[in-house]
Amino acid sequence: MRKPPFRLILGLVLLAVITLVAVFAPLIAPFHPTVTTVNVLAPPSAENVLGTDQLGRDVLSRVIYGTRVSLQVGAAAAIVAVLIGAPLGLIAGFFRGWIDFFLVQIIDIFIALPGLVLALIITAMLGPSVVNLAVTLGVVTAPTVARLVRGQVFVVREMVFVEAARATGASPFWIIRHHIMPNTMRVVWAQFAINVAFAIFTSASLSFLGLGVPPPAPDWGGMVRDGSMFLPILPLLSLGPGAAVALTVLTFYLVGSSMNEAASRNDR
Amino acid sequence: MFALVLSRIAVMVPNVIILTFLLFASVTSFLGTPAAIMLGEDASPESVAELNARFGFDQPILTRYWNWMSAALSGDLGRSYSTQQPVARMITDALPLTLELALWAILIAFFGAALINSATFMKKSVDRFTSAVSIVGITVPNFFLGLLLIYLFSVQLRLLPTTGWSPWSNGAVQHLLHMILPVATLSTFYFSSFSLVYKAEYQAVENSLFIRAARSKGLSEARISYRHILPNSILPLITYAGLSLGQLVGGAVVTETVFSMPGMGRLLVDAISARDFPVMLAVGMVIIVGVMLLNLVADVTYSLVNPLVRTSA
Repeated sequence: MRKPPFRLILGLVLLAVITLVAVFAPLIAPFHPTVTTVNVLAPPSAENVLGTDQLGRDVLSRVIYGTRVSLQVGAAAAIVAVLIGAPLGLIAGFFRGWIDFFLVQIIDIFIALPGLVLALIITAMLGPSVVNLAVTLGVVTAPTVARLVRGQVFVVREMVFVEAARATGASPFWIIRHHIMPNTMRVVWAQFAINVAFAIFTSASLSFLGLGVPPPAPDWGGMVRDGSMFLPILPLLSLGPGAAVALTVLTFYLVGSSMNEAASRNDR
Repeated sequence: MFALVLSRIAVMVPNVIILTFLLFASVTSFLGTPAAIMLGEDASPESVAELNARFGFDQPILTRYWNWMSAALSGDLGRSYSTQQPVARMITDALPLTLELALWAILIAFFGAALINSATFMKKSVDRFTSAVSIVGITVPNFFLGLLLIYLFSVQLRLLPTTGWSPWSNGAVQHLLHMILPVATLSTFYFSSFSLVYKAEYQAVENSLFIRAARSKGLSEARISYRHILPNSILPLITYAGLSLGQLVGGAVVTETVFSMPGMGRLLVDAISARDFPVMLAVGMVIIVGVMLLNLVADVTYSLVNPLVRTSA
């Protein structure tokens, strides 16, 4: 057992802090996130650390509550991506031939298209809501997961224990379920945190464009959008929630990339 | 070479047809018929049906797709529902700005990543710098980076114009001054992923025998790095850059919104919020065709630089 890298430890500590903030948001936040007051556009003070927005809501409290929305959307999107992408990758990699050719064509087309634009058009059709956002971002990420699983299946299906299972007369479904799937899931979970990071990043961008989580829910991207009008006088209104997005994405990226590295080291 | 291009086009054409059909079908069926939107919620079913019949919205989807596509091929993309302008005109107005933004960003990121990462002096500091920029580029969203840069350089230091843009006709200096921050925002992201790709290949080539031979011949470190390692490790970066040009459109949408630049991204976002079908369809089609063409160009460039691919294709 080698010493875990510093990046993984830093990522896990940050992840723990962010999760605690999300869970205990009502206890930590000094004010209610959606109740409006007459104290509009107040500059940062001891009471309102990041100031208040154009409806008099405390920005820090909204950033704290925003953690919940972001983590929900990120995690749900990453789960949807695995649920759609992993079966496709398993089928393509195991059966090969024309099924594989057909699926890879589709997967490659969707990987080539810009993910944000795809997400924009899909959310425009489904209408903005937290559930639709998670489904959309999951669908957009699914091709990457399928690609990854397919590559891993190519390695696993040539291994001796798969040949042994085939020799004993096991059905393709049995082999996939009991031999291939358990050996490919490790890579999928290593990629999971990266997918969460992508989903949080993209959902914040969508909200910034006005097509993400609908108001008045405290959502970081939407807060940056509203606050950016007051950038010259009250910079923290938009830069505060923006920093929250960057920090959360960084956290999941640190965890995911160090897990990926560990997984590829074990493969060698 | 010619055969390679032909075979790539043979794959590309059906892909474009399938994707544009998917786009057409989803946009027109999910958002309700245009007649319902034009007449509003109180319209009687009869008047909606009448308008649908007049514009041909009651025909089967394949017929409607064919009509739209054949009109589009002859340059007629319809009129915008919200501004009543010809959509083709709106596209030709917006496209050059987005192309220019994307081109600057990708060129700076490409040459920056290749040249900075090949530096032979202060190797440690350079490596630290590129790693730091890489983390920023991957984790900081475009809209946040853009606002940070505006706050720093325009609000605090008053060095650069805040937002908006200035056409070439207003003078090249003004134009380029307005371009600095958007290009910096967009290229940071690409610099980071390009750096990762280039660094990995650079380190692999650095350890090969012909580099050891060059070194024992007494060549200077700079000459070894830029004349021997760089040309041999640039290939993966070319492919990667070609593929990421498509993704650049996504970043451009956000960047154009932050800096309020009237490009394709703005056009798409405005069209979506106004439910302006003809514009949505047209921008979607331009993006699809553009991404496919860029992939083709990346493939061809790759095979021009690397003869091995050419013989096997």
